Amino acid sequence: MHPTKPAAWTNTPDAEEIARRQTVNINIETVSNNISTDYPGHFPGEDVEFTIERFREAFSVNFHQNDQFLSSFSLVGIDASLSNAFRRILLAEIPTLAIENVYIENNTSVIQDEVLAHRLGLIPFKGGREGLHNFLKWHKKPEVGEDPYAGCFDWNTVRLELNVECTVNPDASPAEDDPLKAYNNAHVYAKDLVFVPTGKQEEYFSGENAIMPTNPDILIAKLRPRQSINLAMHMHKGIGSDHAKFSPVATASYRLLPTITITKPILGADAEKFAKCFPKGVIGLEKVTKKEAAKKGSGYEGQEGQAKAVVVDAMKDTVSRECLRHAEFEGKVKLGRRRDHFIFSIESTGQWDSDELFLESVKHMKLKCKKLEQQVINMAR
Amino acid sequence: MPREEYQVPTGASGAQRGATRDAHESRAQMSYLCGDCGGSVTLGKDALVACPHCAGRVLYKERTKRMVQFEAR
Repeated sequence: MHPTKPAAWTNTPDAEEIARRQTVNINIETVSNNISTDYPGHFPGEDVEFTIERFREAFSVNFHQNDQFLSSFSLVGIDASLSNAFRRILLAEIPTLAIENVYIENNTSVIQDEVLAHRLGLIPFKGGREGLHNFLKWHKKPEVGEDPYAGCFDWNTVRLELNVECTVNPDASPAEDDPLKAYNNAHVYAKDLVFVPTGKQEEYFSGENAIMPTNPDILIAKLRPRQSINLAMHMHKGIGSDHAKFSPVATASYRLLPTITITKPILGADAEKFAKCFPKGVIGLEKVTKKEAAKKGSGYEGQEGQAKAVVVDAMKDTVSRECLRHAEFEGKVKLGRRRDHFIFSIESTGQWDSDELFLESVKHMKLKCKKLEQQVINMAR
Repeated sequence: MPREEYQVPTGASGAQRGATRDAHESRAQMSYLCGDCGGSVTLGKDALVACPHCAGRVLYKERTKRMVQFEAR
């Protein structure tokens, strides 16, 4: 016997079903539906194969903020595996220049040599983009027993110097308490590091393109009279997976777009309390209109002019789940996150522009895919 | 070139071959820093360990004059 009506699963998914699939549910103490299901074979009879056309159609990028060193943008219609790959590449695989070797001639300050060297290494630097990205190349670490300076050239090593000595300021009054006024060079700042151009570096790093710390007021050490620091430094290019000082970003993170669905009306004093459960600007209060009040079964009957809670900007929500703790909102609100909407936030340390950094991560990803492709080809042979 | 390399001792340089003590004449005078007044103190062999300016008995060795290399990590 053939059934007259096909089973429910053979229907194409409606909007509600699609919304259910792309929402991660945030419940009072748990998170559910957190596994993506958009791969072939998961839903019988549905073709969700990855094709570049489909991806192009569904994918979009929109910027929320784009300052030189801080950008925030949304990637919509991308899988977590890809956006996470971009994030990890941003943190660990985009090269930057940082202090790698410190040659200390003299250090009579209270800060120990190795601690001083470590502090110097963590200072972020900026310089001419052309020189940093194209002129400077990788430096190969010398083997044990090899001449350590034989591999240092103008195209892979940048030399910096720091020579400061603290002296008593003769113009200050003897009763002066502030060490910054009583002594010269009481504080050593990142701006005291002197860039020494060698060879062709003069062409790429001169004037405002000179290699200098992004934040000139980083405190390196404190000195007292007759203490001095004399040292030279070598900077090399490196990547974040080798050491965090090479990471081009201060933070590179994403979060999923929060969703707030008010399933039953929240009115009057409850609405005000509801708005207070969220950060400012997430929930707004509106008056119930005549039309809504007239509609039977809407929950607004006879409530014309009352305040009701509406979602204004879910993106501003921190998903604190505060509203789920109150009994009066039980069953009236559903919290969730859009599974394929990633709100990226990238803060650069100064060697790259923050939007340029993301493009660079895409470039690295592409390169990795090309390498993998070649290996698969070799494997199949 | 590396600044410090091991110098193979040559037998002809004064000290007798196989001697475990080198002659002290070359470094009979050592310079220290006084822990009390911070002044420089030079002590000869068998001299009293005290600062001539303030009689402080705590003396510190001076930092090496050699360059020290560190990795900034």
